[in-house]
Amino acid sequence: MKSLKYIWRNVMRNKLRSMLTILSIGFSLALMTILCGYIALQDVWGNEAQKYHRIVVMSTMGFSGEVPIAYVDRLRAMEGISAAVPYAWYGGMYKEQQMAFAQFGTDPNHVFNVWSEFKIDPAQLKAFQDDRQACIADRRLAERMQWKIGERIPLQGTFYTFNLDLKLVGLFDAPQNTDSLWFNWYYLDEGLRAKDEPLSGNSGTIFAKTKDANSMAVTCKAIDERFASSDHPTRTQTEAAFAQMFADMLGNLRLYIFVIGMAVVFALTLVAATAMAMSIRERTTEVAVLKAIGFSRWNVLLFVLGESCWITTLGGLMGIALGCAFLQGMHIVASQFVPVSVIDLAGVWLLLLLALAVVIGLVSGLVPAIRAAQFSVVDGLRRVI
Amino acid sequence: MAANQSDALVVVNNVTKEFRRDSFVIPVLLGINLQLARQDYLALMGPSGSGKSTLLNLIAGLDRPTSGEVIVCGTNLGVSSESKLARWRSQHIGFIFQLYNLIPVLTAYENVELPLTLTRLTRRQRDEHVRAALEVVGLSDRLDHYPRQLSGGQEQRVSIARAIATDPTLIVADEPTGDLDAKSGGEILELMRRLNEEFHKTIIMVTHDPNAASRAKRIVHLEKGVLVNTNATPVGATA
Ligand SMILES: Nc1ncnc2c1ncn2[C@@H]1O[C@H](COP(=O)(O)OP(=O)(O)OP(=O)(O)O)[C@@H](O)[C@H]1O
Ligand SMILES: [Mg+2]
Repeated sequence: MKSLKYIWRNVMRNKLRSMLTILSIGFSLALMTILCGYIALQDVWGNEAQKYHRIVVMSTMGFSGEVPIAYVDRLRAMEGISAAVPYAWYGGMYKEQQMAFAQFGTDPNHVFNVWSEFKIDPAQLKAFQDDRQACIADRRLAERMQWKIGERIPLQGTFYTFNLDLKLVGLFDAPQNTDSLWFNWYYLDEGLRAKDEPLSGNSGTIFAKTKDANSMAVTCKAIDERFASSDHPTRTQTEAAFAQMFADMLGNLRLYIFVIGMAVVFALTLVAATAMAMSIRERTTEVAVLKAIGFSRWNVLLFVLGESCWITTLGGLMGIALGCAFLQGMHIVASQFVPVSVIDLAGVWLLLLLALAVVIGLVSGLVPAIRAAQFSVVDGLRRVI
Repeated sequence: MAANQSDALVVVNNVTKEFRRDSFVIPVLLGINLQLARQDYLALMGPSGSGKSTLLNLIAGLDRPTSGEVIVCGTNLGVSSESKLARWRSQHIGFIFQLYNLIPVLTAYENVELPLTLTRLTRRQRDEHVRAALEVVGLSDRLDHYPRQLSGGQEQRVSIARAIATDPTLIVADEPTGDLDAKSGGEILELMRRLNEEFHKTIIMVTHDPNAASRAKRIVHLEKGVLVNTNATPVGATA
């Protein structure tokens, strides 16, 4: 207890230097917190997806391949399946803006059976089902775009040649911000067919819900086997695996970012080590006096390591708090990027980051600590005598 | 002689000390013999560079002799390990330095408490020791002052309190008045006398000042690495 006080006083001895070290460690750990938070986010998505036992059917050719609309009905007739809908990515431009939000063509009559956890006012759902040109949107998307019910939403196709002229008739609530707009797949398909487009009759992907979580793997396999010898073979996977597939596309990028983050952490460890070496050097005589009085090398080593760990742990706490505040801020102002609150993201990784701060302390304090421990008392005292 | 040795608190036998710097060797102490009885008060004088601090460091267990024996409080210091010496110092030696060497981030109270944290004393016992030590040096009203808030003389008194707080057998002082004016120096010397006479501490004091040395019971001179015994004051019965 007594030595903690002494160590703390040493931390406060040169406030500016300690503060700068704390800040540099803090910023590098804030960066790491944001990176790790982003990775945790994808895990949360994966777990979330697992909960609703949905599966995704796509073409073996990937997103450029075709999944015939007729497959939807065949899926609905299958053993383990409770609901299925076409789910076609439209990717249109809204008011000259590319990718302003996600747009999907789906089946209004079944879509809330597949996403049964989403909520919508029954009257609004009915309006969606009754009008071919109707669309509904995630409430948070509508808020972001400042749309009101009745709003006309024209979408200009980018790879579809048919432009959509949609009317917002309802808002749905999802557990997390989907940033999505749903319109009637048949409206798009009719338009394409009228133009004799080859893309017509393609559901894009099919989202289906299985009756329970255990049957997901079997059902995926059954679907793919069933269409294996057709003109349009399929690749079916769980929604979690599907999300992971997207994540893996970013995977390498994630690794690079992680490596850069660690490099920053390493650089700032050296900064902390320099600061620590400087403060101990200024205290050579004092260390010699401590040893003369009877403090062992081991005591001295712990004093120095304690001091450096204290500094970096403060920096770590600050950085983690800062990083979490940033993630939470993003969740509030831009929930399409961070759809989950920090509380849901929090996990062991936060403790690991704190441990990383302690490790930085140990590493940065090690050389000065060993030097202080080994320094000869007599030489240290001669500086003043 | 043998009986004498066992009585003596400090026995220095044929001690030499040389320092090696790169390839050449600096001989500093060239065969020192010295004994000190309990409750003795020795002043060690000599010109600068004669090896006074070196000898004092050997006796205080901060360094080991190149040859010969240094036996203090029954422990042969030349053969003890570094960590044993550290523990031994904390139990037997009180240090007073020329430049006080208090820890600047600790208050007077905490500086005096510092060596006590190495003992098994309880918090309460430590508190008693600290207050008693600061009482002896007359600084009971400065417990919470930091070293920079004290005068040089007061700092040295705190460092004396630190040296006596653990109730050591031997007090070593390397030019304790070297950095003080005559008045403060006089106070320190008076304190040292009291420690010797009232508290029965054995003291070795290095000094350049003949006036300071004259307050000791015994004076030895060190010149070019050898002791020249010019006893200024009558030597105690045990010498
Ligand atoms: N650690 C060391 N390394 C090399 N030489 C040393 C070392 N310690 C002392 N010396 C040398 O030993 C000699 C005696 O030094 P010491 O400090 O004992 O003298 P001193 O009598 O205390 O002098 P002063 O009165 O100036 O304090 C000096 O020449 C010094 O340079
Ligand atoms: Mg000296």
